[in-house]
Amino acid sequence: MSCDADGHCVTCSDEGVPMRVVATDAEGLAVCAGGVEVMTDLVGDVEPGDELLVHAGVALARLGGREADG
Amino acid sequence: MKYVDEYRDAELGRALAAEIVATVEPGRHYKVMEVCGGHTHTIYKYGVDDLLPANVELVHGPGCPVCVIPMGRVDDGVAVAHEEGVIFTCFGDMMRVPGGDGTLLEAKAEGADIRMVYSPLDALRIARENPDREVVFFAVGFETTAPSTALTLMRAKAEGVRNFSVFCNHVTIVPPLRALLESPDLRLDGFIGPGHVSTVVGARPFEFIPADYGKPVVISGFEPLDLLQSVYMVLRQLADGRCEVENQYKRVVPYDGNPQALAVLAEVFELRPHFEWRGLGFISHSGLKLSEAYRDFDSELRFAVPGVRVADPKACQCGEVLKGVIKPWECKVFGTACTPERPIGTCMVSSEGACAAYYNYGRFARERVVV
Repeated sequence: MSCDADGHCVTCSDEGVPMRVVATDAEGLAVCAGGVEVMTDLVGDVEPGDELLVHAGVALARLGGREADG
Repeated sequence: MKYVDEYRDAELGRALAAEIVATVEPGRHYKVMEVCGGHTHTIYKYGVDDLLPANVELVHGPGCPVCVIPMGRVDDGVAVAHEEGVIFTCFGDMMRVPGGDGTLLEAKAEGADIRMVYSPLDALRIARENPDREVVFFAVGFETTAPSTALTLMRAKAEGVRNFSVFCNHVTIVPPLRALLESPDLRLDGFIGPGHVSTVVGARPFEFIPADYGKPVVISGFEPLDLLQSVYMVLRQLADGRCEVENQYKRVVPYDGNPQALAVLAEVFELRPHFEWRGLGFISHSGLKLSEAYRDFDSELRFAVPGVRVADPKACQCGEVLKGVIKPWECKVFGTACTPERPIGTCMVSSEGACAAYYNYGRFARERVVV
């Protein structure tokens, strides 16, 4: 009943998973590798190739950009 | 894989471990709490603690969203799931959390329509596909997960989906930390701060820990090297006589958080006066409910939720484990009456729970020999 073979529920945990955008769909969602649909409201417009940190179907942050302040 | 492999380099890990050894005072015992269950999982999966000197102890904190759900809320969820016409949706680990009257998985076996989802958006999709059914999402999680619920509700409202509601059990991270710091039986030297909560709320909300309690905080990433470096940074602060909030996870955590995420949380949720935590009791302003603007989507208003209060089983010591007062293997039922297959306490359910992490990665055997 866990979300991956490791017995590890990435959604229940406080875990973010790096994912790469492969397309955007008509609902305004990003489609990531593996067909996972992701809401991108918190990170702005995305394009295929962008790398995102995803948790529970939401991109929380972009990866690979400049380092955050502070 | 990029953003992963470079944070698992064994050579760099050994170098960091050597720096940690050089930083600690040999006669002093250090207790550092990793707040987040995701950190607990990484520590035991990769054996991060094996690289630390014996006098540096990692204490597991309350940051596992499944572990802190009180049994009564599970019973409330089961009651809603049994209502006529309801499709009840939740994350995988929640299915196995025991309430006072069984688990959601057992309710499913009894005929309730309970489905596992990976995100609230999946639950909304089920609602769209089943317009003649009531679809309920059992929302759990800290500020990391709450934006996903919030954005899903904003979509549901914009689309006019009427057969979707949320049984909200979202919680916030700062109040339980304050409660822990006020706890008289706890002695900690510093904190490893929760990385992904902080992508949302930022590092700033943790400033009260050095300011009011004089303890260092380092916001940490989730790879093994992130954790080793964060432990080193906490110990470095202690060696230098400093205490402040430092951000080891700058690659995704802005010091002030994600303003869009904070805005959607403010729109969709409001603080409850108090919320019950497994093992920790009621904590003021620590839980979220749907705001007035989203009350039509509140399962607690749509259904007759019994509001069950259930005392934790006497044998279960989840509360002491969550506070870091005892190690999982010191619990009377650890690994015997309470196992991941038949958990008594929530800490044994989720792999982020300290007990399950110990159990799954074999720590209990070694620890018992030491005792």
